[in-house]
Amino acid sequence: MGTILIDGHIIPFKPGDNILQAALEANLEIPHFCYHAALGSLGACRLCAVEITPKDSSKAPRIAMACLEPLEDGLEVSISAIAAQQVRQHVIEFLMINHPHDCPICDEGGECHLQDMTVACGPPYRRYRGRKRTFSNQNLGPLIHHEMNRCITCYRCTRFYQDYALGNDLGAMRLRNEVYFGRFQDGPLENPFAGNLVEICPTGVFTDAIFRQHFARVWDLKTAPSICPHCSVGCNTLPGARDGTLRRVRNRAHPELNRWFICDRGRYGHQYSEHSARPLAPRASGADTSYHDALTAAASQIKSAQDCIGGLGSAREDLEGNAMLQALLNTLGGIYTAFSDPELETATIAAVSSLQNTGNAPSLAEIELIDAALIIGDLTAYAPMIDLALRQAYRKGAKLALLHSSPTPLAQFATTAMTVSPQEMRTTLSRLYQLINAQSATEDMTETPMTDIVASLMGARKLLLIGAIETLTAQEVPILAKLATALGSDTRLAYAFSGANAYGAALLSPAGSAMVMLEAVEAGQIRILIVAGNDPLGDSRFGPRWRAACRNLSALIVLDCILTATAKAADILFPVAAWTERGGTFINYEGRAQGFAPVFHRPEYLPSVAEVITDLGQYLGHSLQAAPSVLGDIFSDFEIPKPGTTGSLIIAPSLPMPTTPPVHSAQESCSSMWQAALTSWYGDEALASFAPGLMVLIPETVAMIEPTSAIDAGIKNGSQIKLRGSSGSMVLPVQLNQGVATGTIAIARNVLAQLGVGHGDLLELEQVL
Amino acid sequence: MSWPTSIAKGITDMNNILKGLQKDLLHLPRTHPKRRATAIPAMQALQAELGYLDDAAIKKITQITGLSTAEVEELATFYSLIYRRPTGRHIVRICDSVCCSMRGADQLLTAAEEYIRTSLGTVTPDGALTVLPGICLGLCDKAPAALVDGEALGPLNDASLKALLQRLQKED
Repeated sequence: MGTILIDGHIIPFKPGDNILQAALEANLEIPHFCYHAALGSLGACRLCAVEITPKDSSKAPRIAMACLEPLEDGLEVSISAIAAQQVRQHVIEFLMINHPHDCPICDEGGECHLQDMTVACGPPYRRYRGRKRTFSNQNLGPLIHHEMNRCITCYRCTRFYQDYALGNDLGAMRLRNEVYFGRFQDGPLENPFAGNLVEICPTGVFTDAIFRQHFARVWDLKTAPSICPHCSVGCNTLPGARDGTLRRVRNRAHPELNRWFICDRGRYGHQYSEHSARPLAPRASGADTSYHDALTAAASQIKSAQDCIGGLGSAREDLEGNAMLQALLNTLGGIYTAFSDPELETATIAAVSSLQNTGNAPSLAEIELIDAALIIGDLTAYAPMIDLALRQAYRKGAKLALLHSSPTPLAQFATTAMTVSPQEMRTTLSRLYQLINAQSATEDMTETPMTDIVASLMGARKLLLIGAIETLTAQEVPILAKLATALGSDTRLAYAFSGANAYGAALLSPAGSAMVMLEAVEAGQIRILIVAGNDPLGDSRFGPRWRAACRNLSALIVLDCILTATAKAADILFPVAAWTERGGTFINYEGRAQGFAPVFHRPEYLPSVAEVITDLGQYLGHSLQAAPSVLGDIFSDFEIPKPGTTGSLIIAPSLPMPTTPPVHSAQESCSSMWQAALTSWYGDEALASFAPGLMVLIPETVAMIEPTSAIDAGIKNGSQIKLRGSSGSMVLPVQLNQGVATGTIAIARNVLAQLGVGHGDLLELEQVL
Repeated sequence: MSWPTSIAKGITDMNNILKGLQKDLLHLPRTHPKRRATAIPAMQALQAELGYLDDAAIKKITQITGLSTAEVEELATFYSLIYRRPTGRHIVRICDSVCCSMRGADQLLTAAEEYIRTSLGTVTPDGALTVLPGICLGLCDKAPAALVDGEALGPLNDASLKALLQRLQKED
């Protein structure tokens, strides 16, 4: 630690920093383009020129690039020196030679770094009168618009895309003044973090193609601090709305979570709230009605059913909505849970319980610093930003070990990637635990990948064990926790949950209540089911049972902002506000409670779930407490976190590890050798699946099989097979894929739902000739 | 394509080595440095066979090297002696860097374009010629200089350029 003098101000610096970093830290703006906090210095743009006064007064001052100049104590720097200003002016003039004067029609206008820098340091007029260099643009898919003529070759895009996000389909082509940033051929960018190019490009080369479809000038956008509702990471976002519609979502830096970047699901999934099929008017008995009439109808149904009522909250519903629903059910004497899938419920509760016992999950910033990780399942699909954090750890040399049943993008960076069928996952994890407890890796050659994994885990200092909850069972979760304990106190444990508020939902849901509720509906003991933001009828494994059971109901009351299978089947439907249209609290995978604020309001009256439940309580003659005091009763000292702050870890009573026996689907009759595995992708999420732009990129629906097991069964790549599950069958083309476990067929969520099977259930396979 | 004998032999050797290497390389992991290192020799060898690298050739390089198509394209388009568009049987690269430009390279380029009646970088209809501007050949003492099928020539003037182009057009 020393100090330097910048234009007379004494600025402290950290060892290893350069002039630019020290100045930016001290809120002194040195104009720059190619430097980025996440990507470091490059020295490509030459804009951050400063003047350095030598210690030897007989020598003349010199110009240096602030981003490349190491610091030494007592260094005297001037940003405002005439010579430095002139250099910067010349650099801008050069950069502007080929840059089109299209600011009035450019999407970047108003938040363009080049525009700001040109106004701040460039010459006021253009001297160059020659022809400008022009390029052809590429079609980069539905999410990103390409306008190469605006490029100033700062290389931020390829540095982010190739070096940071580890993508390999965007490159810097050609040379000299013809450098071109693009793909080999037209086509969508494949990286799940490609949308960040929109923010990282200092000018308008890469702009948001979805925002462009319904564009507004950025200074006209209404914004408020929000939290991404598309996964359990809880990235901070800044949505922008105008004229009662949501236009775009941008990153809002959180020092420990998403610092500069968000994933494409978070950036483009917001289109769900603009979907043409979104319910906007309350519906009762198949017709649109008023809010008052819908509440009256719901109240009279509930009164007539007396005590036979169940309430199904959701892991994607905020803490307030879930807590109010629980409070209403407590008043009415009914059952509440936030999970429609009993297995997911036990697994999530087991995970939260083990996190409470072993210390909280690490933040993204902490994950970037680990030096080994054991990853179970496809993290890219359940928590894309944890994948990005692990890519940073990998870049710094961390060893990643991976156990997966279906293909996952992280496999390409793993030191050891082992495919394990869903039903063998438990024995594999137990074996790992045994090996680690034995304190020495056996030399048994048949266990090579396992011993490699043990060696890499035991050799690490900062270790992370992380699993995707949706593809883990309640028995596997505690084994992972035991592994973490066995590996020592520096080992961190984390789970990628399904649903932005899954952690909070688990804190509210009594273990086993999902099964109790499903059986009660099946037995006719529950006559009224209130579903808030959940989709039991669309569930893959339990969907068929829920669909059959719901025929026993006298009324299905649904509160949601998307038209799910359950919302379609609702007798009474309350459309509610989307997450950008209301305030609330989500608890992320770490247990961090974060608040979000309403960004805008639509012309239609769209209350939040908590508001609908409060109103419904009033119509029933029960005056429920307000959400903050309900939450205060459950969690002592709980205060609703203020939107825009970094949030704090929730203090909750510790959950007992659920002892509920595993739910086995009745499959004894199935003689097949094939197991189903869920294959997912970064856009696969309940809300994001209503985002048309993202859904253009949905992978082809195929049945993925591991090549050797396919050959053994006489199945060829591209041939057609018929898969049969408990509730249906489907003919699919075969795709041979090394990333699938032996004896496993990896299929997408919608196929699982149609077949009525879950991850790890058996499937019957028949070849179609 | 008529390469000067030494270059042609070099390319044949390279081709043979590459064919030998290719077998070994494919057993190595995709990210092995040995595989990536073969990218440029592999491109040169393929270009010697095909005259230029079409998209299929780029894909072939990706199979050999384990690089992505974008990464191969980055390399292929960076090096000016790797051609991504069809070329004639003979390639004339007229240097347009400082010394040559001062000594009339720009006029030579215009004259060549007029003579072959097709724009720079394209192939004459008979498939004989491609004329391109080139970067400094280090032959400033012979400015304006040109690289003709791998052989350096200079100084050129209007008459000698026309004679050269005429001769090349008649050659196979």
